[in-house]
Amino acid sequence: MITIEGLCKDYGPRRAIRDLSFDVRQGEVLGFLGPNGAGKTTTMKIITAFMPPSSGRVSVMGFDTVKDTVKARRCIGYLPENNPLYNDLKVESFLAFAAGAKGVKPSQRRARIKEVLHACGLEEVGGRLIGRLSKGFRQRVGLAQALINDPPVLVLDEPTIGLDPKQIYEIRHLIKEVSKERTIILSSHILPEVSQLCDRVAIINKGAIVAIDRPENLTTGLREHTSITLRVGADQAEAARIIGGIPGVVNVAQAEDGGLVVDAVRDSDPRPTIVRRLVEADIDVFEITRRDLSLEEIFMRLITEEGASA
Amino acid sequence: MRSLYLKELRLYFTAPIFYAVACVFLIIAGIFFSNAMLRQSMFAAQIAQYQVNTPVGLSEIVIQPVFDGISILVLFLVPLFSMRLLAEEKAQGTIELLFTYPLTDVALVASKYLAGLTVLAILIAFTGVYMGILAFLSPVDWGAVLSAYLGLTLLSGSFLALGLFASSLTTNQIIAAAVSFGLILIFWVMGGLSEYLSSGAFSMVLAELGLSGHLSPFLNGMLVLKDAVFYLFFTLFFLSLTLSVLESRRWRG
Repeated sequence: MITIEGLCKDYGPRRAIRDLSFDVRQGEVLGFLGPNGAGKTTTMKIITAFMPPSSGRVSVMGFDTVKDTVKARRCIGYLPENNPLYNDLKVESFLAFAAGAKGVKPSQRRARIKEVLHACGLEEVGGRLIGRLSKGFRQRVGLAQALINDPPVLVLDEPTIGLDPKQIYEIRHLIKEVSKERTIILSSHILPEVSQLCDRVAIINKGAIVAIDRPENLTTGLREHTSITLRVGADQAEAARIIGGIPGVVNVAQAEDGGLVVDAVRDSDPRPTIVRRLVEADIDVFEITRRDLSLEEIFMRLITEEGASA
Repeated sequence: MRSLYLKELRLYFTAPIFYAVACVFLIIAGIFFSNAMLRQSMFAAQIAQYQVNTPVGLSEIVIQPVFDGISILVLFLVPLFSMRLLAEEKAQGTIELLFTYPLTDVALVASKYLAGLTVLAILIAFTGVYMGILAFLSPVDWGAVLSAYLGLTLLSGSFLALGLFASSLTTNQIIAAAVSFGLILIFWVMGGLSEYLSSGAFSMVLAELGLSGHLSPFLNGMLVLKDAVFYLFFTLFFLSLTLSVLESRRWRG
């Protein structure tokens, strides 16, 4: 679907993107995560053929974005950062323009505009000037123009930025709707959004990918230990001693809130053994949970590690 | 390309600036026309008085000064129309949409230019009313009038190419207007400048490059291929410069 090979982009002496390579598979939603200035927008601008890379290449549906730029662009719907729109046009005339410019056949334009207006919940504002719309509606218009020619690939640069919680929810819902039959790349720095919407996440920092995987693999794959918290009645020291004897357990510590924190070997799950042993020793178990690192923690860890080594 | 052209036209006709400029343009053109008519009637009176039998062509007395005046007016108003063409897209960020839609840069420049030219042509066509009034009062040499309109359109087209080029250089519409006005003026007076230079090759080149000098043959009702070709070449040259500016994003950082 989308293949990115050895992508570099220099802005003068500053290298914005360093040797980026990854694939996005058909029907996949790839999230782009990274702090501001990490190179997310630059990468998206190159994928959408807004600008060429300094070196490396991008192909979308088999079309090189530099050599076959018009064909590649025909496959992409793009919602740029800040969602630039023609404020002096009415929603419908803007979509008519977008449909024509993006090669929708004249006979299908009217039907297609209607479909997109409906899909994006814009029917009631079709005749209004874009400049007078609320931010949530503007974002929908941006999405509508991206969808107008029914492209197989969508590139969305921070689609929910600056919206209120209700609008964010609606836009996410909309993205989920349209993601069913499309390949999507979306960038964000809202982490729950990425883990909710995306099949895979690429974490990018200082122009390079530091991790790319499924959200659940990211959250489990990067821990050094399996971490378990538990709450027991009666004698904590005795419980700690018993747990310490279980194979695979590396460390047992008292947590500040009175519970116990157990570190076990990575990829092991000693929870059933812990419970059995404690019950055998007549110690009550009130609570036992395996704690996964949140995407936030992973993100912070990757970003700061990268910062330390750079 | 057609949709981009139509979008440009729509934006022109929804903005108040078009109507304001058109209004001022037609008022001033009207003043030029009535001046020329008054002069014509004075001439006619003199001719009757002295019974001179020199044939005085209507085209010389009315058409030429009117079109001369209109050409100066066009010089002032083209920057007002051309300034937004690319600068506005860049300032609003909508250029990012255009550059990622499946359009070639050539199509982009062409649609922008043609839309601007259409608006100018509509404006100039309004002055046809004056020619109608003229025809009502006395016989008119329509060949000469058409030739004058053709020259005026070609000249406006050259101005517009300069204006579009200026608009591609900046994101600020005021700067775009100022630069295009400056460029237009430079090429307008260039021909006159050559008169002050010794008659070398340089002065000849200056005389030929001036925009104003190529208009008078059209106003005299003489269609000269050389002058038409000059305007077309001038226009194409600045359109290709505009294209290069747009394409420079590919190699600039």
